[in-house]
Amino acid sequence: MTVSAAHHEPPAFDVREFARTAQGSLRDDLDLPAIAAEPPSHEVARTLAALAVLEGATMAHLRNVLVTSTHKDARVTAFLVTWAFEKFWIADALRAIVAAGTGEEPGSAGRPDAAPAQTGRVAASAGRGPVRRALAGFTQGWAVVGVHMAVGFVDDRMLRAAHLRVVDVAGSPPLAAAVDRILRVKARHAEFFEGEARARLGTSARAARLARRELRRTSWPLGGSALEPAELDAFGRFAFGGDAGRAALGVLEHEVRGLPGLDARTAASVTASLAALAARPVA
Amino acid sequence: MAFDIDRYTATSVSVHWDDLDLESFRDSPLPAESLRTLRYMADVEYHTVCYTRDLLTTPSHREADVSAFMTMWNREEFWHGEALAAVLAMHDVTVDYDALKASRLKLGWRDRLDPIKQSVLGSLVGSDFVAVHMSWGAANEWSAITAYQRMADLEEHPVLAELLRRIAKQEARHVAFYTSQARERLAASAKARKVTRFALSRFWAPVGSSISSDDDVRHVMTHLMSGPEGRRAARKVDDSISGMPGLDGLTIVQDALDRIGVPG
Repeated sequence: MTVSAAHHEPPAFDVREFARTAQGSLRDDLDLPAIAAEPPSHEVARTLAALAVLEGATMAHLRNVLVTSTHKDARVTAFLVTWAFEKFWIADALRAIVAAGTGEEPGSAGRPDAAPAQTGRVAASAGRGPVRRALAGFTQGWAVVGVHMAVGFVDDRMLRAAHLRVVDVAGSPPLAAAVDRILRVKARHAEFFEGEARARLGTSARAARLARRELRRTSWPLGGSALEPAELDAFGRFAFGGDAGRAALGVLEHEVRGLPGLDARTAASVTASLAALAARPVA
Repeated sequence: MAFDIDRYTATSVSVHWDDLDLESFRDSPLPAESLRTLRYMADVEYHTVCYTRDLLTTPSHREADVSAFMTMWNREEFWHGEALAAVLAMHDVTVDYDALKASRLKLGWRDRLDPIKQSVLGSLVGSDFVAVHMSWGAANEWSAITAYQRMADLEEHPVLAELLRRIAKQEARHVAFYTSQARERLAASAKARKVTRFALSRFWAPVGSSISSDDDVRHVMTHLMSGPEGRRAARKVDDSISGMPGLDGLTIVQDALDRIGVPG
């Protein structure tokens, strides 16, 4: 296998600075009493709980990334280490918001006490676990880094859309402020993923081709297998169902097509899978 | 005592050194052989994320506590690498992303096979394999603490000693996690004890062996673990390891030093 150099100008994102200024616990920035005073609806709380699981499901995704050549790119792994840390605390913030809204005393940090993880599924994307990915990694070489960046970008935009839908439906200023705080943390993640994906897919036809294939084959949202099926379906319905959901999917499709090398078919495949999730009958 | 994961995650911070006078290394630089050892240690710390990959391909990663620990541990170890790199930078030795990438590339085929091997081996014995990982982690972290302490003692450089002390303090919490996990899992399963004993006695080598040349490993182990003091330190680590259920009598660190040819 030949390792081809990524012939692109290094993007401007300063990973060291990002790592240095990593956002830990957000609890001090959340007005939990105000949220408790205006508790969210069951629907909204349920979605926030699902988002907590999805945002926190970093290790499965990290595994799928690390078993490929991407683990050798020290700049990317440096980013991912901090990314996982920030996502951990985002998940914690979401759990705190849910707990405030449902009247329970929030835990100090850490473990998901919401929907239990499906421990039977090893792959973050069904049927394409670490062994298959590692074997595929033999032939994919460096192009695979671009693929992971594209996946990271799409995952980020997708969850962002769900967060925004929560704000719209809840119509609660304290909740909106809390979600906004979370989205500000996520903004840097999108910036990195987008910059890297743009540079890599834009300069390597192979990376673009592999990215198109990966995006079409991925089970969205990432980490969905960590949710109970009923919760995943409810999440899909809330975030991507109805007119508002369709509009959000339209935006997402546009964002995916905005990356070099990603075509209409790929973008449509991503949004179609989410639309299908949203359309699943209520259990 | 059970490891308090909530307290750990709430208090996990990146090691800092902005209050330390790193400029002092310009006036009293460390000798070349010490820089070589520090470089080895920095590589080990930075390589943590790759070891995480190995852990993630076995059933370990599915458990919430393990997952939370790994998130924080990864970040803390990354910053250990940055701290050591900062000291090296004072000696005009650069450890940047490209250099790290180059050394990861050197691992070539062996590196690629690891996650596959571990994943398959992991599924063969299921969650008992988690006991192996936890025990392995404990052995590695104990060794790391010992190495940092030995380095601090040998160099007698106050800034270095303080920095290494801070790093070792964080490693101590890692040890606490790994040992509490290992003890619980080893105590619960005879199969776990058997597999762990086998894996450690057959395969364990000093942390960093798989990512460094034999020369570098020999250099570092000789530098830090020679003579009666070094052996005593090694024995202490072995006592800790062999104190865990099913591992009595193991002397994996001393055995490794013998194999490498480190004088006692």
